[in-house]
Parts: sequence; C-alpha cells; structure tokens
Amino acid sequence: MSLAEEYTEASDNSHLERGVAYVQRNSRAYLLIAPAAVFLLAVVGYPIIETFRLSLYQSPADSNIETFVGLQHYVEIFDSDIFYRLLWQTGRWVVAGVAGKTLLGLLIAVHLKGDIRGRKFFRTAFLIPWGIPYAISAVVFRWIEHPQFGYLNAILLKLGIIEQGVGILGNPSIAWLGVVVADIWIGTPFMAIIFLAGLQSIPQELYEAAAIDGAEKWHQFRYITLPQLKSVVLIATLLSTIWTFVSFDVIWTMTGGGPISSTATLVIHIYQVGLQNGNLGRGAAYSVIGFLFLFVFAIIYLRIYTRGGDEL
Amino acid sequence: MQPDNNDRSGEDSIDRRRLLQALGAGGAIAIAGCSGGGESGGDGDSESGGGSGDSGTQSVQFLTMGVGDNIKQFFEENNAAFEDEHDVDVEFTSVTWDNARQTVNNRVDGGEAPDVSRWPARWIPQLVGKDALEPLDDMMDGEFGEQFYDGVAEGTVYNGSHYGVPWAASNKCLYYNKDVFETAGLDPEDPSLDSWQDMLDAATQIRDSDASVPALGLAGADAIETGSQYYHYHWSHGADLVDDEGMPVVNSSGAVDALSLYTDLHLEHNVTQSSPLSSTRQDIRQLFENGDLGMVIGHVYTGLNITAAKENDEVDFDYGIVQVPRGPEGRYSLFTIDTLAILSQSEHKDLARDLIRFYFDEERRFQYSKQKGFLPVVEAVGERSYFSDSENWGPFVEAGQYARARPKLSNFSEFNDRMVQAIQEALADRKSPQKALNDAQSDLEDAME
Repeated sequence: MSLAEEYTEASDNSHLERGVAYVQRNSRAYLLIAPAAVFLLAVVGYPIIETFRLSLYQSPADSNIETFVGLQHYVEIFDSDIFYRLLWQTGRWVVAGVAGKTLLGLLIAVHLKGDIRGRKFFRTAFLIPWGIPYAISAVVFRWIEHPQFGYLNAILLKLGIIEQGVGILGNPSIAWLGVVVADIWIGTPFMAIIFLAGLQSIPQELYEAAAIDGAEKWHQFRYITLPQLKSVVLIATLLSTIWTFVSFDVIWTMTGGGPISSTATLVIHIYQVGLQNGNLGRGAAYSVIGFLFLFVFAIIYLRIYTRGGDEL
Repeated sequence: MQPDNNDRSGEDSIDRRRLLQALGAGGAIAIAGCSGGGESGGDGDSESGGGSGDSGTQSVQFLTMGVGDNIKQFFEENNAAFEDEHDVDVEFTSVTWDNARQTVNNRVDGGEAPDVSRWPARWIPQLVGKDALEPLDDMMDGEFGEQFYDGVAEGTVYNGSHYGVPWAASNKCLYYNKDVFETAGLDPEDPSLDSWQDMLDAATQIRDSDASVPALGLAGADAIETGSQYYHYHWSHGADLVDDEGMPVVNSSGAVDALSLYTDLHLEHNVTQSSPLSSTRQDIRQLFENGDLGMVIGHVYTGLNITAAKENDEVDFDYGIVQVPRGPEGRYSLFTIDTLAILSQSEHKDLARDLIRFYFDEERRFQYSKQKGFLPVVEAVGERSYFSDSENWGPFVEAGQYARARPKLSNFSEFNDRMVQAIQEALADRKSPQKALNDAQSDLEDAME
C-alpha cells in the first residue's frame, strides 16, 4: 500500500469515525426531530417522489393500467415546440407579473409610510384585493375586459376612443397582458404590506443624517431605502415568483389558457394534459420539469442575493 | 391612559367562561359536521360513507351535476319521496359542471364512487375503460327501455351495451330577433333562414341596416362549447370528425368549406359581434337574451329564459325559432344526452336500479323536462301537448329528426380542444382554414395512435 493510499484510508476511516461519533453525540437531538422529519418526508417528499414515478409511466384516461415508458415523456416534451412556447409564455407571465407587483407594491408602500391623510384607511383598503379569492377577482376582471359587457370597453366607447368593443382576452397577441393586469392587481397588496413592514424597520436616524448632509429624496431612496430593503425584497420577490409561476386560478378563470393557448403557462398545460385529457404520466413529467425549474431558480436567486455575505 | 388600555383588553380578551362556550359551540359544530353528508345537497338526515345509517337504514349515494335553483326543489322533493317509499337514505350530492369530471374521476379512482350518477353520455367510453360502469342491458332491453326514443336510447350504447339510462337530452335551433329583422327590412314572420347562405344574406342585411346590434352571435372562446357551436357547420358540409375506425378525418374539403364559412362570417362579412374569440356560447346566448343580437344558435332554454324575462318586464322584444340552417350536405342539430349510470363499485346496485326506475315515472319526467328546459327522453312525455304545441318547445321537438351526437371517444375532451384551437387559429386569421385543419388532423392522428 502506497503512502497516499494509506493516507486516504486513514482519512476515510477518521471521517467515518468522526461521523459516527457525531451522530452518537447528537443521538438525542436526532431522536427528537425524527417525528417531524418523518412527517416532512411523508407530506413533502412522498408527493414529489410519486410525481416522478408517475412521469415514467403511460397512464391513459380510459384505463387504470399503467405502462412503464422510462424517460419517453421527457424526451417527447423536450422535442416538442409546445414546451418551448410554454417556457416563453411562463417566463413572460412571471417576469411581467412579479415586476409589476414589486414596483407597484414598493410605490404604494413608500406612500403609505409617509404621513398622509387617511393613512389607516388606505392601508386597509389596499389589502382588500388580496382578501378576495383569486377566482372571484379573475371573474371580475374578465367581465371588466369583456368586449360586449365590460366596463373598460363601455368607457372607451363612450369617450369615442374605440368604435366597437375590443376583445382583449380574445386577442392572441395581447390576451396575456389582460391577464397579467388582473394578477398584478391581486398580488400587489401582499408586496406593499411586506415592503411597508420593511420600510418601518429602517432607522429614521439614517434619513435624518442624510437630510442634514443634503441628500435629496431620490438619493435617500437610492442609498438608504433600497439597500436596507434588500433582504425584504429578496424574500418578497422570491415568494412572488414561486406563487406567480404556479398560479392557476387567474389564468384559468379568465381565459382557460387561450385563445390559441396564448395565455397558457406550464401549470395550465399540466392541468390540461394531466387532468383534462387524462394523460397523467405526461402531466407528471411536465410537473417534474416545472419543479426543477423553480428549484434551480430558487438556489441561483439566493446565491446571487447572499453573495455579499447577507443572511436571510 | 391606563384605564383605556384596561377597557380595551377587557373587550378583546376572552374569559374562561366564554372560552368554554366557544369550545362547546365549536364541538357541537364539529359533531354536526361529522354526522352530515359532506357535500350533501341538503337532504339533512343522510349518513355519510357507509351503506347504512345508525338506524340500520340503507343509503344510496346519488351524484349529479349542475343542479340550479330551478330544479333543486325537484330533487329535494323526489329524493324525500323515494326515501319514504323505500325506507332508505338518499345521499344526494350536486357539483358544478366545472368540477364534475374531476369529482367523478377522483371518486372512481379513490374507490369512493357513488351508487348512481348522472353525466354526459360522452364520458361513457372513458369510464367503461376504467371498468367503472355497470352494464344496464337488463333494464334497457326490457319494457323499461321501450319508453325511450330510439335515438336517445342509442346514445347510451357503447361496445354493444347500454352503460346508462338516458336522463335528459338537448339539441339546438336558430333563434332570431323579430324586432331586429323588422328594422332590417326582413320579414319577421317568414325569415327565410333555411340555408347557411340564407342566414348570411339576412345577417348582411342586418349589418347594413339601422339595427344597432350585431347580426349574428359566433362563439370562438377557449371553451368546450365553441366546438359544439361549430360542428353544425362542419357536419352540414359533409365533413366528419372521425371515420368508422375512430380515426380523425377533420380536414376534408367539406371541413375546410365549413371552417371557411365560420371564419368568413367574422373576418370577411363582419356580421358577428366584435371579437368572437372572447365570446363563449354563454356570452352570445346572453347577448341574444338581452335583445342585443340578431341571431344565435341556442338551446330551448334560451327561449324559456326570454319568455320568463318578458313576463317580468325585464326585456321587450319578440323572437322566432327556426331549424339550424342546412348546408350542402344536409342539416344537423347537435344532440347531447345525459345519462344516469350505476357504478360498478356500488354495493347497492338493486337499490340504485330502484332509484332510477323511480325517477322515470312519467309525471316526474314531465316535471323535470318542464322545469329544467331539457328535451323529453321518454316518448310519452314528448308527445304531451305541453311540448308539441309550445312555440318554444315545438321547433326543438321537430329538430329531433336532425339530431346528431358527437362521436364517443375516450379522449374526446382532448380531441375537441384541438378542434377548438383550429377554429381559433382560423378566426384569429393566424392560419388559413385549410392549414388550421391540416395541423389539427396531424396532431389528432398522433394523439389517437
């Protein structure tokens, strides 16, 4: 045995021994967290494993018989044009939605933090959209944007801006914008409240010192507010991204993913393929892909934001 | 300030007595919830889950869809009557149509299928494939089955067996607004709407007249019903959806002509409401019922709704009903059948049969069709003067001769979705009708392999 091999073996042994010793030393702690760990594995781990298992099978709508097909679903998905169109549409939906909610939420939070008249009323009022079930809000927006029955078109017609009702949700080019507006309206209050909480935790002395130094409002916002809000923004946008990515109610209620699948996202397609058309295996494969996307996104996102040493 | 704080805390906090009261109330609610029937449709005393209640009474689970206010009382009264007659509990559950298919699949897959359920006949193939349905040839081949119209009874047959009892049927006719026709210089009493060309001519005349409403309602939204509105055009041009082997044949020359006509109504002739791609079948029906549309293809309940609205002074216009226009290869009216089925998981199949027989009492059938606005499926009921002499019902009874059902495919939902996409692609002018249907044909061939 060479010196190097002896060293490696010794090193391995010491690693193993150290590991065993560590477990023995903390055995009581492991025992105490075991029930929670088992529970987590059951409610979080099992569905993920089952979804992956399902994605390896063909399960037609008209039969209970599952046939093992390996990675066939994945190969077909990556080969299809639909998948890349869905990726683009999902990305567009998430980026526009999260950006809209973040910017609007920040704007509202900054104004609500100020000493404005009726602040309590506005703080409460801004929460209302978030308190309404998503599906109900989506129905309301569908009607608002309806070419024959909607307020939006009625107002534009009255003002003489248009000659006949414009079907926003029926136009494949702009339907997604019509849906994003509803999503932003629904999701903004959450962002505003989170940002408001973050703003209130910033020491007032920083602003006072900056004001004495002659910093204008914009500079105070740029060099005090934004850096101090960094961790809040991180968490809020991460959560919002995940929620928007998996959002189903708004799109489904407003457009059903149409017209011509122009508003369909990965989640909508998963529902259509897996549950409407009964192709559970294919739907599960899409789900696994979606899950991996979110997982990788979350890791990269946190890495980038914690690069400077900040901790959440 | 101290007293204020104390006062507030006194208001907001719960003392021990209140806490016990709250827990007691919560417990009572929990117990009541446990003893109730889950999603029960309101027949209070039912026991959940099992085959018999505490009293030893048998129970039968009856699942149905879309019970609206107009028919809720019908089910409540008749379920109660069946309970009295057979000394059983009827666990009645109604779910909305949106959730219906998922509910059924979940319950079947979870081994918790109801004993009796009502659903569209087009679901039969999928459920038969799952061995979820009990064949009902013993009922339908005997005296009981003779009461149904032949075509209606045929609608429940799959692979040579009856897998349901026809519960309700619906077909369609063309409605026209007599006031709009008069404004456009058309004869409201003799509208001459026999063919698609006649319909287009009338629509063009309305478009060019002083009538301030769109001439024709066209469905194009991403909804299953868009297909059912379009298939009239498709079939009447000699096109089909599948061949005898069940393979797709959606891009025949007749199909291209049909889709061309459908899209030209909007893109070339401009006789439809704006943005058909935003409009579901319900939207255009609503427009017509409001008096804001010249013509629409609709069910019998469109007329019933307008009649009711007129009686309540909510609308004020006259309408007429004619057959769906004829195409070069004939005239068709889309025919939909709902069935009552017995689930193979049921442990009370005899009781389930009794429940079905109970609901097919002639008077009950009459009351159901009358209140719900569905065509009678029992001949003796359909022959009653209430239907044959009615201005609302008469044209639909006559349309029975043009009835055509959608093909029974286990993946019809997927099939229909793809057809709706083709319709949308053409309506949005993204693809020519030929290209849209060719692409649909190709995708459907892959899906049906």
